[in-house]
Amino acid sequence: MSKPDKKTRTESGSGRRDFLKLAGLTTLAGGAAIVTAKGEAEAAGSGPSGAGYQETDHVRTYYKLARF
Amino acid sequence: MTVAAHAEVHGQPAGQTPVRGIDDAERLRASVYAFLANLLIRAPNASLLAEMAAWRGDETPFGQAVNRLAEACKTADPDALGEEYEALFIGVGRGELLPYGSYYLTGFLNEKPLARLRKSLRALGVERDPSVKEPEDHIAALMDVMAGLILGSFSAPASLEKQKSFYSEHIESWAPYFFKDLEKAKTGTLYRHVGSVGREFMEIETAAFAMA
Repeated sequence: MSKPDKKTRTESGSGRRDFLKLAGLTTLAGGAAIVTAKGEAEAAGSGPSGAGYQETDHVRTYYKLARF
Repeated sequence: MTVAAHAEVHGQPAGQTPVRGIDDAERLRASVYAFLANLLIRAPNASLLAEMAAWRGDETPFGQAVNRLAEACKTADPDALGEEYEALFIGVGRGELLPYGSYYLTGFLNEKPLARLRKSLRALGVERDPSVKEPEDHIAALMDVMAGLILGSFSAPASLEKQKSFYSEHIESWAPYFFKDLEKAKTGTLYRHVGSVGREFMEIETAAFAMA
């Protein structure tokens, strides 16, 4: 097992990269679509639609950089 | 920095040069994690449904699951989906499913797996926003952490080694079972397809990490 440095990502394998390419993830390659959707979901979260689950804005704020 | 930062990062149009050396395959993984986090923390609204309805998968199992989800999005009603989400995850007393790692691993909420997760999050320098009440082992939170690790929303993008370690310690042992349960949830309609996409994605992640 190699050391956890950034090089690992680029060196550890074209095998992994090729696998990921063939795994179908490209189907969401629109990527932007997901993100746009995220923004819209947030906007919707502040609206009055639906039953009470909209207070869960926490995907947006679930985590933040810890201040030590 | 909050997780909102993810959105800005994945906001890049496809094909644009990745920032900070994150290659396309990794960016796609982050997008899928972020997508799952979004759908598992609340029901999608009409515009998200419209976006999802336009998704086209390829012939892979993951692609096929995406296609079934997209198809279901075409006829889904946002209000009904809100009720579906409520029945699945919130319910009166509790929903059909309890989307927490501790529950899946021990049968109880807030047990040792949550303590272990908190320790890992501290080590990664990540802490929960004080306004959030749900424990950190909510499935959406874990999907969100993975997206953040890949994209570097918390600090620098995490090495594959760190991602793998977080995945194998906190996700791999139960998330696939959660997604399988979601796939066959009695109160699920569209969310069953979310379950399929999630299950397929976990299989891809597990296999890909094995090659790392």
